[in-house]
Amino acid sequence: MATNPSPSLIALSATALALPGITSADAPPTQSTISYKFSNYAEDDLSRSEAPFGDLERYDIDVHQFQFITPIDSSFSLHIDANYESLTGASPWFTSKGVNGDPIVNLSGASGIRDRRSEFSIGTKYYLFNGSVGGNIGYSEEDDYRSSYFGLTGERHFNNEMTTVSLGFSYSSDAIFPTDAEVFNRVISEDKRSTSAIISVSQIISQVSSFQIALSLTKQSGFLSDPYKLKDIRPDNRTQIALTNSYRHFFINANAAWHVNYRYYHDDFGISSHTFDMRWYQNLRQSIQLVPSVRFYSQSAASFFTNVDNFVKPADEYQSSDHRLSAFGAFSGGLSFVANLGSWTATLTAERYVSNDSYSAYKVSQPSTALVRYNRISVGLDYTF
Amino acid sequence: MNLSLKRFSFQAMGSYCEIQIYNESRINAKRIIRKLASEVRRLEQKYSRYRSDSLVAEINHSAGNKLGIKIDTETKALFDHALNCFEQSKGLFDITTGILNRIWDFQSPQVPKQAEIDRLLPLIGFQKLSWRKSRLIMPANMEIDFGGIVKEYAADAAAKLARRLEVQHGLVNLGGDFAVIGAQPKNQPWSVGVADPNKPDNMMAKIELLDGGLASSGDYERSFVHAGKRYSHILNPKTGWPCTGLRAVSVAANLCTVAGSLATIAMLKDEKAGLDWIRESGLSAVAMTSDGRIEGNRLKNVKSEALE
Repeated sequence: MATNPSPSLIALSATALALPGITSADAPPTQSTISYKFSNYAEDDLSRSEAPFGDLERYDIDVHQFQFITPIDSSFSLHIDANYESLTGASPWFTSKGVNGDPIVNLSGASGIRDRRSEFSIGTKYYLFNGSVGGNIGYSEEDDYRSSYFGLTGERHFNNEMTTVSLGFSYSSDAIFPTDAEVFNRVISEDKRSTSAIISVSQIISQVSSFQIALSLTKQSGFLSDPYKLKDIRPDNRTQIALTNSYRHFFINANAAWHVNYRYYHDDFGISSHTFDMRWYQNLRQSIQLVPSVRFYSQSAASFFTNVDNFVKPADEYQSSDHRLSAFGAFSGGLSFVANLGSWTATLTAERYVSNDSYSAYKVSQPSTALVRYNRISVGLDYTF
Repeated sequence: MNLSLKRFSFQAMGSYCEIQIYNESRINAKRIIRKLASEVRRLEQKYSRYRSDSLVAEINHSAGNKLGIKIDTETKALFDHALNCFEQSKGLFDITTGILNRIWDFQSPQVPKQAEIDRLLPLIGFQKLSWRKSRLIMPANMEIDFGGIVKEYAADAAAKLARRLEVQHGLVNLGGDFAVIGAQPKNQPWSVGVADPNKPDNMMAKIELLDGGLASSGDYERSFVHAGKRYSHILNPKTGWPCTGLRAVSVAANLCTVAGSLATIAMLKDEKAGLDWIRESGLSAVAMTSDGRIEGNRLKNVKSEALE
């Protein structure tokens, strides 16, 4: 008895498998989804020993995110995003030496900062026979910052959809106009531009595992300093490169998926970093999922980082006491709870982040005293119809 | 896990349709079934040749337009599959054959005159369609009809959507074209009855499916007997006359779409070539010959049984 499939069967299967309703490749959404997410990001306050004078309260940010995704016809989809953030607190203004010679932080203004940020973006995706192309444009505005951006993406599946290659390009043009510029002798208005390109390749290894590698290159130019710091002078150009590797594995018996990612980053400010994170997606019942996650991050310091601002150094020499440019390490852990209730999906996430110079995998010659610890809590609700 | 079976039947694509799924929650099952049915209705609305607002009507309306008509990705993929069927069947499976339904009316037993058929034959031929990028240019007065493909495709698309909605055990039946989502719980196969063309309420065979689809082609409803001769509604594009081979064919394959194409091609061939065709496919299949014999292929392996 012939057990080999006939050439006709193989041929007919090939075109049938390519039909959009059957193929497992990207397909436009067949339903519309409205999502709302609220997050609160709260940095721990500084202690009096870290900041002997002024405010101790650091950033507290509330974020409201709305998203609407809908199919337009059988090959187009539309994505609309709107975000609103309100921020209160204070950021480090300058650092100096305390009485015992240790660096101390001086937070900005006694009344702190109050700011709002609104963002709106609209995008579309066109689904082709074996891939998709998409684009988006967006605009965001704060009291002292405006950004306009656009992005383009393309994706193509090869090798019976076992391999996917994606390309992306984005550009943003930002304007900075610090508040109270004259009072504090800040810059009046500056701008910066950022151009980014990314290529990624995903490969399905087996029915339960896949691997993805992505390389991105970003060039920033313009005013890259912090206008609110008393003394902050950074180069006008920055080139950033990042290589991300992701592996996913589904465990059939445990009914759970394991995602692990490693990212290497380097830029010409002199910062290199390693990020390692893991997530475990445990399906508990058909409608409930629990997702614990852990993350480790460590970076080296920018070549011009100083933990005590030097006010006598010439103005054309680079220097910054921004803690984000120091050498440090950070641990974070979180837990998400996802429940599917018919057309509704509810997500609850809590995360704790702690950064410290002593966690650094790199040598720390000048520890920053302004490193942050924060809690993030978010609640999300999706409705599909 | 406490799975219960939820069934829902509805009318679409001119047929009785039924969806069955196993789910923990009856509310969830109902919601999923509604979505699957609306996917079937979407395809019906888009590809029905009986609706004046369908895309197929719009495509047929463009015949003779030198600029042609822009074809979307999904429809282009259907055309690609139709071309494949045309080539694999050496021109027998042709989606431009439907124009013959103007003179072959299977509701009333009347045989058209050869002159009428001869007038329409020049308007048949898939190779006469041409493409300019994504635009289809169709010669004046020609017609296309996805009737032989779309119901099977809709069954597969509904099954695929069910998988995407995390259904693990389910069955989609669109007027005798089946697509199953996995086996029944505890790895029990779905037992699908193949109707007898002589007595459509009776089964001539049962085929058990663990996955994939099953489609049938045959003289089920639309055929007539005139002056002692049977006229099948399946028309040969080369002669313009009903095909005279097998009475009915059912094939089980990885996809209902593939099963349907193979079954239709088997019907279009003459009887012996049709039986050879399904035998060569290596798939589970059952056929009824013109004298009422039931022939099976690989039926043992799928635990099918021919009924008395």
